[in-house]
Amino acid sequence: MNILQKILAVIRRELRIIRKRPVYIVGSVGVVAFCCVFFLTFFGKGLPDELPVGIVDNDNSTTSREFCEQFNSTQLSRVIRFDTFSQARDEMTRGNVFAVIVIPEGMNADVMANRQPHVSFYTNGLYFLGGALSWKNILQMVNLTCGAVQREVLRMKGYNEDEIMGMIRPVDIDTHQIGNPGTNYDYLLSGMLIPAMIAMCVMMILIYSLGAELKFGTSRHLLETSGGSMGAAVGGKCLLWAVIFSVLGCIAILVMYHWLGFPVAGSVWGMMLDMVLLIVSTEAVAVFIIEMIPVPRLALSIGALFSILSISMAGFSFPLEGMPRAIQALGPMFPLRHYYLFYVQEAIHGTGFAGWWSEAVHFLVFAFLPMLGIRRLEKAYIFQNYPKD
Amino acid sequence: MRSNYIRKWFADAFGTMAHELKEIWKDGGVMLIILAAGLVYPLLYNLIYLKGTVSDVPVAVVDEADCADSRRFIREIEATPELSIKAECMNMQEARRLMEDGKVRGIILFPSDFGEKLSRNQTTVFSVYADMSSFLFYKNILMGTNFVMLHEIGQIQMERLAASGMTGQEISQTVKPLMYEDNNPFNKAFDYSYFLISAILMLIIQQVMLYSMSMLAGTKRERNISFATMTDRFEGRGVVRVLTGRGGAYWLIFLVIGLYVAFIVPALFGIPQRGSFGDVLTMLLFFITDCVFFSMTWSTFITRRESVFLIFLSMSPIALFLTGCSWPTCSFPWFWKMCSYLFPSTFGVQAFMNMSTAGGGMWAAQEQMTAIVIQTIVYFITSYIAVYVENRLIHRRQALAEGSAKE
Repeated sequence: MNILQKILAVIRRELRIIRKRPVYIVGSVGVVAFCCVFFLTFFGKGLPDELPVGIVDNDNSTTSREFCEQFNSTQLSRVIRFDTFSQARDEMTRGNVFAVIVIPEGMNADVMANRQPHVSFYTNGLYFLGGALSWKNILQMVNLTCGAVQREVLRMKGYNEDEIMGMIRPVDIDTHQIGNPGTNYDYLLSGMLIPAMIAMCVMMILIYSLGAELKFGTSRHLLETSGGSMGAAVGGKCLLWAVIFSVLGCIAILVMYHWLGFPVAGSVWGMMLDMVLLIVSTEAVAVFIIEMIPVPRLALSIGALFSILSISMAGFSFPLEGMPRAIQALGPMFPLRHYYLFYVQEAIHGTGFAGWWSEAVHFLVFAFLPMLGIRRLEKAYIFQNYPKD
Repeated sequence: MRSNYIRKWFADAFGTMAHELKEIWKDGGVMLIILAAGLVYPLLYNLIYLKGTVSDVPVAVVDEADCADSRRFIREIEATPELSIKAECMNMQEARRLMEDGKVRGIILFPSDFGEKLSRNQTTVFSVYADMSSFLFYKNILMGTNFVMLHEIGQIQMERLAASGMTGQEISQTVKPLMYEDNNPFNKAFDYSYFLISAILMLIIQQVMLYSMSMLAGTKRERNISFATMTDRFEGRGVVRVLTGRGGAYWLIFLVIGLYVAFIVPALFGIPQRGSFGDVLTMLLFFITDCVFFSMTWSTFITRRESVFLIFLSMSPIALFLTGCSWPTCSFPWFWKMCSYLFPSTFGVQAFMNMSTAGGGMWAAQEQMTAIVIQTIVYFITSYIAVYVENRLIHRRQALAEGSAKE
């Protein structure tokens, strides 16, 4: 029996196991499909809109009402009126409105009389995205209102429109968002969370698949099937799952970057390569974990902790650069971190091979991990001398 | 007679609890999850998000104007806490390359007519290119440059108005017809850790309980000694005693973890604790009770100890998003809003955030507390049904097995 036949025998055996135990299909295809549907529909809008903002209008003049109306007509906000500040503040503490604007009494008259009235606003930064977006929108609106008042004053003083424009807005910024022109949160969040979920499934399934042999005491049968070759036994399982997850992963990539039109500066093929490398390197980490701890329940717990942690450590929501030094140093241990860096090069900058080759090398380094402990797992497979579950 | 029944009831419940505690203690996998995820994870997450904000994001400057005005802008940008100028490049290509290498996260370009337009009293424009690989970089670049722009607008307006013959008082009134002040009382600097840690802490209680209880329940079912059969040991219907006893074991363990997570961890890492101890504790007790019956209900579907990870692990990040701490609840699609009502964490996180982190009283979490109570009742009923049905199924299976054995 040559090595190829041995691997094929292991794959056939694994396929039989998959058919017998539905948890394998539920844990791979089922979970990945559910997560894709969840994240893609959950962030589907790309950017939250119509966020409730409380306004306490103590002035109740034409100017203040106009301000409320204009603010209400912005895409980002929806106005809820309150009679008193304490009511509004309580609603903000409850998280029902993300911000409160207080318009002072006599604002209109004060503006007319050049008395510079004070508008105060409060944001709830605990509901992070809602608070931050509302804050940005209010600031923009207040500055626009200032501009409108200035325009009136300057008109009255007899300036012409060109001069007025130069006065109101002497400086402007022209913003370009590279890789995500509309600040669409879906692109980054789904774009990273879906691979994170796929990696999580790979980790769990592979540890389970290798650990189940110990748990059910079938490891000797596995070794018989592979003709005594540990490499073929582990390799066969890895190969089969790599193919299954790569198909799932590439479908996810196609759905995002082709069907839903997520921006990708490089090519969709590059993203597929990124996904396949993520799957293979996660498999390597999974094999390494079960090799070091050939006790399925402990290995699964550790794999779970690792997978959950890697979502933070990838650094796509809160950047790795902002974490303490010691934590930063752990970043490269997580395959998802390399997926993210690869993604930045391929999808955002479109630099291609020249940009991501170092990440590809990192990914491949993971592939050597299983070699470190293969003998240890082999002994566990032969002697079955570890706790079974 | 009656007092005898009550005494028996408590003895049974207490016995079940002691038995469950012993089982938890003996199970290495469950202990690892409780200790590592329940005690170490809160610390780890706090370390990861220790700083909470990003400052001095590196940017490159391309100064094609090279005039006094653009140099002043550059100095002001460098002075902002948000940004730090890492490189002054000759052209866009050079800056672009730095950005692709990840050395800088943004590029600020002053076009050659920048100063000229300013001196001609026109609107002058400078360009900002932001790397969208992380929203926090983008936010810093946007805030830093906008701050400089607004400040400069004020300065330039004053100069221009003065040049056109206005006097001091008039100028300041025209430049700032409306004064404003912004307050962010609960999270002054939009610190990432304040909201995320508050959410993660409560979520940890729920998820760790779900995983540990499911793992143990799966183990039992694997060995064909489902806890549902325990009801038979008691006189009368024993389901409630089993639920109380088993639940009590987890309730005790997670009360300790809950106190640690809700009071000690935030104090260690400077997460605001503005609420009163009594209010937060009351909330915590209700939340943990809710989690107990939530976990009991869902662990019914776990027939093998490992399957909980294969099937429910992905629920952790999903439950986190469903709390509404980052993506606002009002922007949820209706279907997912309904789903968010399935998780105790949805209400637990909001209640903890409103009461402990924001410092509202019990009134600030009234809706959430009501929801938690309703959820507890519903999950109590579902876990009652689950135990009852499972018990019946086991009996029927046994009866069938005996029947076929006789034949």
